[in-house]
Amino acid sequence: MTEGKKLLIIDDDPDFVEGILSILENAGYEVETAYNPKDGFAALESKRYDLLLLDIMMGRGAEGIMIARKMRKDPKLREIPVLIITGIREQIAYLFPGQPVHPHFVEVDELVEKPVEPDFLLERVSALIQAAEDRQAEGK
Amino acid sequence: MGEAKSKILIIDDEEVVLDSCTQILEGGPYHVATSMDGAFGMELVQEFQPDLVFVDLKMPGIPGFEVLDRIHGFDPTIVAIVITGYATVSSAVEAIKKGAYDFLPKPFTPDEFRVITRRGLERRKLVLETTALKREREMLREHFAAIVSHELKSPIGAVQQNLLALEHELSDQLNEDQGNRLKRMKSSINDLLELIHTWLRVISADADINKLRENFQSISVETVISKAIESVQPHAIRKDIDIVSSIEESLDPVFGDEITLMEALVNLIGNAIKYSRMGSQIHVRADEEEDYILIAVSDRGVGISDEDLPFIFGDFYVGKSAPEAERGSGLGLAITRRIVEAHEGSISVESALDKGSTFMIRLPFLNTDRHNEPVLDTGILVNN
Repeated sequence: MTEGKKLLIIDDDPDFVEGILSILENAGYEVETAYNPKDGFAALESKRYDLLLLDIMMGRGAEGIMIARKMRKDPKLREIPVLIITGIREQIAYLFPGQPVHPHFVEVDELVEKPVEPDFLLERVSALIQAAEDRQAEGK
Repeated sequence: MGEAKSKILIIDDEEVVLDSCTQILEGGPYHVATSMDGAFGMELVQEFQPDLVFVDLKMPGIPGFEVLDRIHGFDPTIVAIVITGYATVSSAVEAIKKGAYDFLPKPFTPDEFRVITRRGLERRKLVLETTALKREREMLREHFAAIVSHELKSPIGAVQQNLLALEHELSDQLNEDQGNRLKRMKSSINDLLELIHTWLRVISADADINKLRENFQSISVETVISKAIESVQPHAIRKDIDIVSSIEESLDPVFGDEITLMEALVNLIGNAIKYSRMGSQIHVRADEEEDYILIAVSDRGVGISDEDLPFIFGDFYVGKSAPEAERGSGLGLAITRRIVEAHEGSISVESALDKGSTFMIRLPFLNTDRHNEPVLDTGILVNN
């Protein structure tokens, strides 16, 4: 199920990344990492990934959102499922005031809070990849 | 800064008053400017930026009261003293109500003028110092929020993530003792993260609440209460506590934010659970009263002593009678109060030691023209 699936993590906190990287690699995923939005987007454009794990608060602010917005505009990148992993509820409430749920950035996305339980992480990653594949199979 | 001369502006239609005042202040550490009417006086207020302004109440053109208003509109830290004709104490009182610092009845002696000038300037110094302190406190608040959030939260979050990963990876290799130690680490780190969240909530509370107001909408009190009860139910079950709610039927909606109001209630009901004995009951009640909705949370727990009562809504208050294991950050009630006040409501408490406490939140209705429906107690027993 996880074999051959390629994931990308974009997060500017290497210590945190290590904590999810090992969970995902142990589960059999092939995982690449980018520690800033620029490298992250370059990787997205140059390779094909089955899922992106994206941090929101990077650099000078919510630079993760910039990536998500750019992805939405790209017909190919829009199809990649995104798992948004973010620091605090409050920050989300602040970015999207009044919205109990975050707005959808791309076709298949979901938001989880840091830190994230390993089993829950694996379950969501696999569910999102599945959902994106189902969408593809249906031809949208 | 200490060497700078104080700037004094005198606005009076009598030239002789302007001249004599200028003369009295001559040679002192002052810059003096004068105007014979309110319009030019206001121009000077903006150009000259005085520390202290004397305003004659009775002038042709813009009246003195109006000048007073405009000065405070321009810069509320400018100290204004009104000059009044004899026997017009009532207008002097009126001026002080409008924000004038003091009044000077005409005629006055040079000494009287010097003394009131000195007092006015001292006042100005205090006002400026207070403003500076307030600004400093705001900076500290913002700064502290940034430090807490970035310097503490991220690394602690990363530690937690790695603990979670380690536990997952080593799950079949750890012996029971090692597993337990890992669990305790996780739980301590989790407490720390919760504490940081709470700090951040308080520190940014004022800003958040203002932002919140922009998104207020009509919300059902009943929904908020049942969601809050649902969220604390696991704690209640653990202590074998019944939460009994009686919500008046068809309560008017209130204008607010569901999530934060729920947080306020979760804090109150959570406290009630914390300070209740095993196996007791907590009542949550909501009724319409006159022009507000009253939500009351009552417990039969340890209660609050009279000496503690005045402080419980302040920051970092922790009840002395709190069971050791249940100690919190001491911010729950402070946050609750802020949330309730942001909803134009009020919060109060009645408590007796060893008998229990009742916290009451009063929220104004959204709809005031609708009439009360007949009261119907639903008396839902939520737990058991």
